[in-house]
Order: sequence, then C-alpha cells, then structure tokens
Amino acid sequence: MNPFTRKVRAVIRREFMQRVRSKWFLVSTLGIPALMIGLVFLAGFFVTQSEDDTGATATVGVVDPTGRVAGFLVEELLADSVLASRADAFEGSTEAEIRAGLSESPYDLLLLLPEEIVEPPEDVDRGRTDRARLFALDNVPGARERQVRDALSRALLRVRLADAGVEDVDAEALLRTAPISVVNVTETGEARSQELYQVISFVIDFLFYMVLLIYGQMIIRSIIEEKSSDIVEVMVSSLRPWELMLGKIIGVGAVGLAQLAVWGVVIGLAALFGLTSAGAALAEAGLDLSAIALPWDTTLLVLLFLVLGYLLYAGLFAGTGATISSESDAQQAALPVTMLIVVPFIAVQGIIQSPNSVWAVVFSLVPFFSPLAMPPRLMITSVPAWQIAASILLLVACVLGAAWVAGRIYRVGILMKGQRANLPEVLRWVRHG
Amino acid sequence: MSAPAIRLRGVSKRYGRKTAIRNLDLDVPVGSIYGLIGPNGAGKTTSLRIILDIIGADEGEVAVFGSHDIEAQRARIGYLPEERGLYAKMSVIEHLVFFGELKGMDRRSARREAAEGLERVGLAEEADDKIESLSKGMAQKVQFLATILHHPDLLILDEPFSGLDPINVDLFKTMVLERQREGATLLFSTHMIEDAERLCERVCMIAGAQKVLDGRVADVKAAAGRNEIAISFEGSSSFLDAPGLVERVADHGRYVEVRLVEGADPQELLRRAVESNVRLSRFELVSPSLREIFIEKATAAGVSPEDAPEEEAAA
Repeated sequence: MNPFTRKVRAVIRREFMQRVRSKWFLVSTLGIPALMIGLVFLAGFFVTQSEDDTGATATVGVVDPTGRVAGFLVEELLADSVLASRADAFEGSTEAEIRAGLSESPYDLLLLLPEEIVEPPEDVDRGRTDRARLFALDNVPGARERQVRDALSRALLRVRLADAGVEDVDAEALLRTAPISVVNVTETGEARSQELYQVISFVIDFLFYMVLLIYGQMIIRSIIEEKSSDIVEVMVSSLRPWELMLGKIIGVGAVGLAQLAVWGVVIGLAALFGLTSAGAALAEAGLDLSAIALPWDTTLLVLLFLVLGYLLYAGLFAGTGATISSESDAQQAALPVTMLIVVPFIAVQGIIQSPNSVWAVVFSLVPFFSPLAMPPRLMITSVPAWQIAASILLLVACVLGAAWVAGRIYRVGILMKGQRANLPEVLRWVRHG
Repeated sequence: MSAPAIRLRGVSKRYGRKTAIRNLDLDVPVGSIYGLIGPNGAGKTTSLRIILDIIGADEGEVAVFGSHDIEAQRARIGYLPEERGLYAKMSVIEHLVFFGELKGMDRRSARREAAEGLERVGLAEEADDKIESLSKGMAQKVQFLATILHHPDLLILDEPFSGLDPINVDLFKTMVLERQREGATLLFSTHMIEDAERLCERVCMIAGAQKVLDGRVADVKAAAGRNEIAISFEGSSSFLDAPGLVERVADHGRYVEVRLVEGADPQELLRRAVESNVRLSRFELVSPSLREIFIEKATAAGVSPEDAPEEEAAA
C-alpha cells in the first residue's frame, strides 16, 4: 500500500511550503553558514592573538640541581630574545623554597630541572618527579611554554653533544625539522589531504548535527502548535494519526534537505569559483575548497545516513511532542532525545582522529549514534562493506521500531491536553495503542 | 431499506476507572436530523469521536453507511469538533483548499468550492488574508466552511452553536439545513436542549455515560403521555398550591409549567386561578418539553437530576 495518499501529500506540502516561505527559513539558511564561517575566523583570530600574547618579555630563573644544563639553557633562553630578559642559574633550591619565594623573587618564571635531566630514564613521562617544572605566578600562554620547552631541548642537545666532545653547535639549526602533511591515497591513486578531509568531515557532521537538532525541535513545536490551537481533532477526523505524523516528518525533513541543498550549492559554487573572496578567505583559513572531491557513492551513503538518522530522531521527537501540551515542557521532555544526538557528536572529534579504533567502529554501528558517527568515517577512511551494511540494517530496523512506538504514543497523545504525561502512562499508550 | 448513516451497538469506552460511555446503541437514519443531548461530561464528545474512529471503543460495533471501515468513509463525513482551530499562519483560501485535499478533493475543485463558499458567507475579500488577522466571527465561518466544503453526506457537529455570534448561528443553521435538504444526514450534540427541540427530528439523550432516551421527538413526547399546562399570570401564585391537584410546578420565569396529578381536570386549575383573582395572559395545554422529559427519564435511570442539561442561555 502506498502510504503517500493525497491526504499525506497535502500534509507534506503544507508543512514544507509554510516553512520554506517563512522568514525563518531565509534567515537560518543564510545565517547558519555565516555563523559557522564567523566562528572559524573568530577561533583563528583568538589563536593568532594568543600566539602574539607572548610579546612582553619575562624574567626566567633556572634551578638546576645537576649544574650542567643551566649554563646552556640560560644562553638559549636569552638567544630567544623575545623570551627572557634575564635568566639565572641556581643550585639546590627545593620546590618548597621556590613556591614560597617566587612572589618575592625578581623572576616571573622559575624552571626547576629534575636530577636525571641529562640522562632521563626511558619512562620519563610516567612519574611527576622526573619532569621539569615551570613555576609561574600567572597563567603561562601555550606559546611561551613551547618556547621554554624548545630552549630546554636545545640546551640538553648541547650538553649531550658536549659530553660526546662536540662543542659550539647551533642547536636550533640542528633541531630544525619539516612539518608533516598526511596525504591519503585512494585506490585510484588520487591524493587527498588528510587534514583537509578531517576538517571537511567535521564541518559536514556539524551541519548534520544542527539539522537533526533544529528540525527535531521543529517537529515538537509543530505538534504542540496543532494541539494548542485545537486543530488536531479536525486533522485526525480526516486522516489517521500516523499519516499525520508521517506527513509532518517528511514535510519538515524536506525543508531540512532543501536547506542542505542550498548550502551544498553555495559550497559547490564557491569550490568552482575558488577565486571568489569567500573561497580565498576560506583557503587562507586552511580550507582549499577546490581540493574537495567526494565520490558520488560516498556522498550518497553519507546522505543516506543523514536521512535515516533524521527519520529516527524525528520519530522520537514526534512521540515526545505528543506527550506534552505546552512549549515550556518541550525542552525538558526533549532532553533524553537531544542527549542521544549530543553524545555521538561529542565523540566525533575522536572518531575523526582515529576512525578505525574499536570504539569508533562501535559508535558507527550503534543505531542511535551511527547517523553522526558513520559519515565522518565514510569520508576519511575506507570502511569495510560489512560495517556499512550492518550499520544501515541496524539503523533501518531502529527507524521502523521507533516509528511504531512513536505512532502509538502519537495516536493517544495528540488528543491529550493539559498536564504532561508521565512515563508509566506513556508506556501504557505504547502497549495498548 | 438502506443501511443507516450511523449504527452503534453496545459501544462502551472507559478512561482508567471513569466510564465515558456505557453500552450505547444508536441508529441514525440517512437524511435525518439527529440530536445528541446531554449535560457537559455526559459522554457526547466521546460518542462522536468513536463514530469518527478518532478513538477506539473498548467494546461494541460501529458502522457508518453500513461499513465498519470508517477510514473508507472519511471523505463522506464532515466533522466540526467542539474545539476547533485553524492554522494561524495560513491564508484563508490555502486553509480551505488544504482541508478539501484532506477530504480527497483535488486542488482545483477544492479551490473552486472554497471561493464559492467564501462568497456565500461574505468573506470573498478576505480570501488571501492570513487566518490570524481574522475576527473571531470570521474564523468561525472559515471553520464551518472547511467542514462542509467537500459536500459531506454525513455532518457531525459537536456543540456547533456554542460560542458563535448570533448572526453566525442563523447563517450556520440555514446552511446546515440546506445540506440536509440535499440529502445529507446531520448528527449534532448539544447541551442546550431547546436547540435540539427546535431543530431535530430525532434525539438521543445521554446522562451519566448512558442513554436514557432515544427516538423521534414527536414519539418521545407522545410516549411521555400526560399533558402539562403552561400558565402566564400576574398576581399571587398561591392558586398553584393545591396538593390534590398539582403534582409539580416548574418556574420558567415568564411562565410556569404545571403538571397535574394523574386523572385531574385542567378546568379545576383554571377555576382556582380565576377565583384567586390573578390576571391570566396564557393558559395552554402543552406537551411536555424535552427538558421535562429528560429530567424525568434521567431520574428514573438513577442519574442525578443535577446532571440535567442547562437552560438555553438568553440570546
């Protein structure tokens, strides 16, 4: 039986047209990408700012129990003229003395080196005692910490080379290295930048995350509106509750797809005309859009996960919406479903870093998490076919199950008014429909 | 004989421990005007929702036009619930076309019917206005048009006249009766018993979740048997204080309705009235009102008379 009867199509069209024609659609379609780009630049701005934040010089004291490193270290610290206006070496100060005396001392920073600094044990990072410690009265910016660390590396290199009989070296030049850029090579031999694809897959996943949350909330609001404006009874006298729910979910989802399509076209155009100012600005931020090439099959799979994920969460949100009557209950009632979306999104960063780790695989198989966990894997690694198949099968089964449960809750719930239904009551609706 | 428009057999519905309707039988013949009467909370809305398959009955059978598949009959039914809403952000014409589509009309004919209907109720100019910009009376007209747009064979109206402005009451009555004359069946619920008495051929009375009376209004009145006397007068009502003669007096303000003791002669009461020097402006033998019958039946069925339907609000 074709569920898309004239009635359901009418509901879909109404839900779609009402939203696409609204001011909200225009604002959010333009606003969300603008917001994202704005955030990227803002984040970049702050990082750049903090790099510059080390501008003022600091006085650094070095406490070296071995007496072998401090000399070189002070030299290296002073050579990095930005860093130290003054670096002195002491012997024998204990940590307690340093902590007690730092505020009285002329130093902004005091670096305490461990006994084994020159010949550290192999598991040097394990214990706290064999670490060098930098005492400071105030927050030490990341860039400053790095400068101290680099100076220490150079000093240690010089100490060890001196032990081997090599004097007068330019440690900075000796340690100079080249940054590594990982290039993933596809089966057909195309090269693609791993970093770029990580960024791209995160951005796309973020958009999905927004779409799931925004459109899920929209379904709840739309149900509450029908309840509170007393229109729902006329509706269910004309079509079955599940038809109404289906029409609503498809109609609202179509708005989401339309919005994604607009964004896709904009990004596509920007990629085609990489010379536009937006493209240039993005390229500056490390996003060379013209280098993106997602194969069609991957793109379709990714979209499939989005659509299935949307259907799953939309069903859950619809069931939730049917149990409440007021906008003020909506946030609280939707929280469990919202958490199901937030949890995989938190994991996404880790999944992008190591897309083939055990838990990344697990997340991309578990139905409630897979809509957000699988797409980044599809985009940045080659996922075994069985995992894709299993994930889709589980997800489809879960979508059908959720639709069944939500439909039963919906059927009873939409005619309920007043107080929010509690859990035992909702479970009774599910059992008796 | 063709199947009745609506047929209920032994329909019951409970909400938790509360019984909404118990063992209801109902036959609404095709083309009739049927009133479902009862006080608020008697089970009228529940019964209508069961007929429409909006909620399922716990027990019993429901058939509309002889079919148990209500879903298949939806396009033939027009339903105006007591709580009726509209989508605030849609335009009037969009709204009507949408509801026409829900009833299986194609967009073109829905648009045509909607335009004609709006013309008829004087809202042609407002066709492209948003619902939220309409006055309450205008919104009522749109709700009503949406109910009858698809020319339903069965109109089910839940408290159709409550909350309407008086002009709309007349307009709706006219339009409903027009539909009925064209062959449509009309079932409506009301807690205003006088409404039903004026409009209906048949009534079903519900009190305390059960049916207390059902049938043609004329038959119901004839079966009630004893006549009553409506009296309007100026002066002391002491002549009504006659235990051997008068069984009960119902004061309706401008007149009183008097029931005599079984076998008593109305002439006797007239004589007492004349002797007591009141000025009579009316002394009329009337059949009992539905209201009187309802109270009697409800009491007999063990339902508190407190549950009696309300007086019609003074218009």
